Amino acid sequence: MDRPDTIADLTAALRQGGYLADRGLATALFVSIGLHRPVLLEGEVGVGKTEVAKVLASIFGRQLIRLQCYEGIDTSQALYEWDYARQMLHIRALSEQQIADSDAVDKLFGPKFLLERPLLEAVRAGDRAVLLIDEVDRADDEFEAFLLEVLSDFQLSIPEIGTIKADSPPLVVLTSNRTRELHDALKRRCLYHWIGYPAAEREVEIVLLKEPGVGEALTRKVVSAVHRLRELDLAKPPGVAETIDWARALSFLGATELDAAAAGETLGAVVKERDDLELVLDNLADITASA
Amino acid sequence: MPSPGAGTAGGSGGSSPWAGTALIGTLVRFGRELRSSGMAVGSGDLTTYAAALAQLDPSDLVDVYWAGRTVLVTRRDDIAIYDRVFRSFFLGASDPFTAMLLMKAGGPTATSAAELVVPATDLAPNEHEGEQAVLGLMASDAQTLRHKSFAACTPSELAAVRRIMARIRLTPPRRRTRRTAPARDGTTLDLRRMIRESMRAHGEPAELYWRARKARLRPLILILDVSGSMADYSRNLLQFAYSAKRAAAKVEVFCFGTRLTRITRELDHRRPDDALAHAASTVFDWEGGTRIGSSLDSFVRDWGRRGLCRGGIVVICSDGLDRGDPAVLAAAMERLARLSHKIVWVNPHKGVDLAFRPSTLGMMVAEPHIDLLMPGHDLSSLEELASLLPALN
Repeated sequence: MDRPDTIADLTAALRQGGYLADRGLATALFVSIGLHRPVLLEGEVGVGKTEVAKVLASIFGRQLIRLQCYEGIDTSQALYEWDYARQMLHIRALSEQQIADSDAVDKLFGPKFLLERPLLEAVRAGDRAVLLIDEVDRADDEFEAFLLEVLSDFQLSIPEIGTIKADSPPLVVLTSNRTRELHDALKRRCLYHWIGYPAAEREVEIVLLKEPGVGEALTRKVVSAVHRLRELDLAKPPGVAETIDWARALSFLGATELDAAAAGETLGAVVKERDDLELVLDNLADITASA
Repeated sequence: MPSPGAGTAGGSGGSSPWAGTALIGTLVRFGRELRSSGMAVGSGDLTTYAAALAQLDPSDLVDVYWAGRTVLVTRRDDIAIYDRVFRSFFLGASDPFTAMLLMKAGGPTATSAAELVVPATDLAPNEHEGEQAVLGLMASDAQTLRHKSFAACTPSELAAVRRIMARIRLTPPRRRTRRTAPARDGTTLDLRRMIRESMRAHGEPAELYWRARKARLRPLILILDVSGSMADYSRNLLQFAYSAKRAAAKVEVFCFGTRLTRITRELDHRRPDDALAHAASTVFDWEGGTRIGSSLDSFVRDWGRRGLCRGGIVVICSDGLDRGDPAVLAAAMERLARLSHKIVWVNPHKGVDLAFRPSTLGMMVAEPHIDLLMPGHDLSSLEELASLLPALN
């Protein structure tokens, strides 16, 4: 598929790729594709923000280029770097053979010695790529200002080479866990969508789509237990990824029913904080009670 | 953009340019409505909105809703505002058919209603200013002011204190980052620079150049008690934090009474005093009293867990008189201690008493997790805080 014609097409394509998108998310992505705008996805941990980009890449047959952000990320990790070791060897070889001519230096800073990092790679690939800028809130704010420049016109300048511009921009997905508020200027460049926890029915569908091996009865019980966990005021409420993990763990152990004993043994798949664990263990019977 | 005209996708027969203009007019009015409700909607955003609708079906209200939401809303907090305005603008709120349509959109239901319930109680924190003003001792001498408790200061003395305070720099401690900068001697070689320099010598690296990791200021998080007796002290501490902001540090400010609210964004466009007074009116319920435990708990849950205070210095200003369950406070403090770098507790009631032992239950519960307990009741103690802060590494 090159480009979806309607939102329904896109939703169906995403479903084929194993992703259930609701109307809001599908609209955001559809508009993003049509207007060549980056889309910023925010939401709780484990609701499938990163997954969206992966599935988009696979359904459109594009290359997924991922830039994982972290504190202290800078241009040499995001953009490009020169291959210094090779440059050094090359210079030595030239001087030993006495063949250094006028354009030796130009060659030294040519494409041969350039190590592409994700952003440059994405600009080069243009619309053959999906660029995923993951957890952008983890990078520091200077990096955001830099991203702004790249995202607004998909153009990079490398002093030694010149300006590189994408003919048609790649599809860009940014994700954020809201550990800090992103700068308004960056948000203005993007479309915004908040992904919440899915409703129980949809979550059952998602789990069944991801793990067809798990029985529907068990899935329903797991999902309703997870929904009760989310009401329980935990420090870290379980996301959809945890629901899938839990269902997978239970079915791996051969469980067909979710009772207190089976839940207690596999709780590590959903609850990952000690304080939470104590709270959940105290209420285990209520949580696993009839779905 | 391979987009058809705005109207062709829809069945409403809007392929004439006139229908397009009418649509744009509606969108612009909708944008104005949003703007007057406090959302930042620029004309560039409206252009994008119109372009987005050209890709979709403008006669389908669900499309209009979601396109606007993805283009015009940039913050989760604004979703509720958007929903409310959308409902009143496009739906007139009461029409059952269109309301049903909106339900189909999975759109606004309970959230926008809940958002409106904001108790507006103003427990004017400056009620007892008057009784202090009767003393006629006009000691404007800076040295005297330095050791005079804020609570005993007249308004004019407080103003003088403020002027002195504005000159003190509050600098949070530094920490090393992963970024590097050229340095005289460092841990890693600056290969880029070496290559450049060695070209002059035909590829012979003549000198070693180094890079070292940069240091940056740790974030400073203020959690201020704004209940009656504490408001004065908190206000001065807040003024103080302002100077840290000038020092290019990241400063986050929260207020609490019976519950917690974040005022960092308000501080960008309000004066500190106004922001605090405004916050005081929203953080109190009718029954009053201070709930430190549950306020800190909600801080940890909503902000701390997402990493706001990671590696940061948390400064709590409170007298430790907690009306809630001490177990909640203990658990919250323990988590906070694990999430942040250092915790400083400013308790004005500590005063000058060097052998101060925390006597309130709240303080006793919190004490094991506090790295530094300061009085903060007068100017000299705030100066002391300023001098101790950079050393909290």
